[in-house]
Amino acid sequence: MESLKIKNLCKKYEKFSLKNVSFSVQSGEIRGFIGRNGAGKTTTLKSILNLVHPDSGEISFFGQTFAGNEKEIKQRIGYAVGGTSYYQNKAIKDIVKITKMFYKNWSDEQYNHYLSVFSLDENKKLSELSEGMKVKFHLAVALSHGAELLILDEPTSGLDPVSREELLEIFLSLAEKGVAILFSTHITSDLEKCADSITYIKSGEIIATDDIKSFTDNYRLVEINEKTKKSDNDCYLGMCKTKDGATALIYAKDADKFDKKLIGKPTLETIMVHLEKEEI
Amino acid sequence: MKELLKKEFKLTAGTVTYIFIVFGLMAFIPGYPILVSAFFVCLGLQITFQFAREYNDVLYTVLLPVNKGDAVKARYLFCVCIQMMSFLLTACVSALRMSVLRDVKVYAENVMLSANFTFLGFVLFIYMLFNVIFIGGFYKTAYYYGKNFVIFAVVSMLTVGIAETIHHIPGLKFLNATSGSELLPQLGIFACGIILYIVGTLISMNKSIKRFEKLDL
Repeated sequence: MESLKIKNLCKKYEKFSLKNVSFSVQSGEIRGFIGRNGAGKTTTLKSILNLVHPDSGEISFFGQTFAGNEKEIKQRIGYAVGGTSYYQNKAIKDIVKITKMFYKNWSDEQYNHYLSVFSLDENKKLSELSEGMKVKFHLAVALSHGAELLILDEPTSGLDPVSREELLEIFLSLAEKGVAILFSTHITSDLEKCADSITYIKSGEIIATDDIKSFTDNYRLVEINEKTKKSDNDCYLGMCKTKDGATALIYAKDADKFDKKLIGKPTLETIMVHLEKEEI
Repeated sequence: MKELLKKEFKLTAGTVTYIFIVFGLMAFIPGYPILVSAFFVCLGLQITFQFAREYNDVLYTVLLPVNKGDAVKARYLFCVCIQMMSFLLTACVSALRMSVLRDVKVYAENVMLSANFTFLGFVLFIYMLFNVIFIGGFYKTAYYYGKNFVIFAVVSMLTVGIAETIHHIPGLKFLNATSGSELLPQLGIFACGIILYIVGTLISMNKSIKRFEKLDL
């Protein structure tokens, strides 16, 4: 089932615009939404959550648009925004006492389960929690009302490696239960561990939306030496300096033009770094 | 809506807002411009807006399973509830001053506006000014409130100044009466206050809902 579908989303600001952003997330799918800072990830997510009004385009959840179905849709989605929080000076139990009134499917049993899994102390104020614990709190709330789609904006930013790993495992087990997860991040190594697919946004435009393997298979990494540097730089999609020289990203179809010994398979992070580096 | 209103009272409201309801009792103070009490109640409400912004309440609320416009409606309802609680206190005090306390020297020789129907009409007028100028202005951005409060403060203080002294103008003495047939025309002013409060608040609320729904947060 298609949990989220975005088609030709456009939003124009004075100095930035989203151009025809389209992708979808199926139930049970973890989709990474990647791009460097300022690429348009948060604007896209805010548009999805109806916080920002797109100039054009369609957004539908479970086959329904927000217009006329806002309340019902929000019952079925959860969100967590890394680095942003609300009611910082209130105790978790006070926030939850109010929050749960709004959800038809709220389960205290689930909530207590996630409190203990995430080691969250209900009596603590949000301001007393670390960034990682705040994300866990938002997740606990989302999961306690049975969210079928999770929209997560940089949920792993500011987390230590162990907490990140824990969260990624939670995402995997949720996906197994059929929860769809849209997960924006610039920590691409997290996606390699858990995402099925990625959508890559650059300067407000989607430049790729694919499963991770197909996406990375499109590219190769070449070690640059004097010879390749001179003759084949038309193939280079982006270059990065390294300790021993430089590396360039090329399309896999151009790999034959290079010495096989110099060719390697790039990671998601390497691809992103090289593609973004091009403009520096 | 019931849940949103509960959220306003239990999560968003600042304690000071509740404390300031008691300013409705200021109508007991003799020889004092008691209409200022309405301003103080609104000052208390402004503190809730301040807290709400610090708490990032707008984001919290619009992400709940509610219609965006209902978040605005709930805030207006909250303010109306607080204003009505204080109004009830002030109306009770006024009723006492117009009956059992009418002949008490300090009240009978009052140079400022007495606690009567004129006063109650002006109380509602000041609440309406707050709902229109401050709350209506706030929802243009759902963030900035300082300038709107300054404008409200200036306009409401001018209103207090005029209302507290207008009965000294020849022919308008009836505005300060606390008994007799002079109360009848005061009822007209009170009715105007009620109408202006209801109409002003409703117009401001509907406009704010439309503005808020169009805002990029």
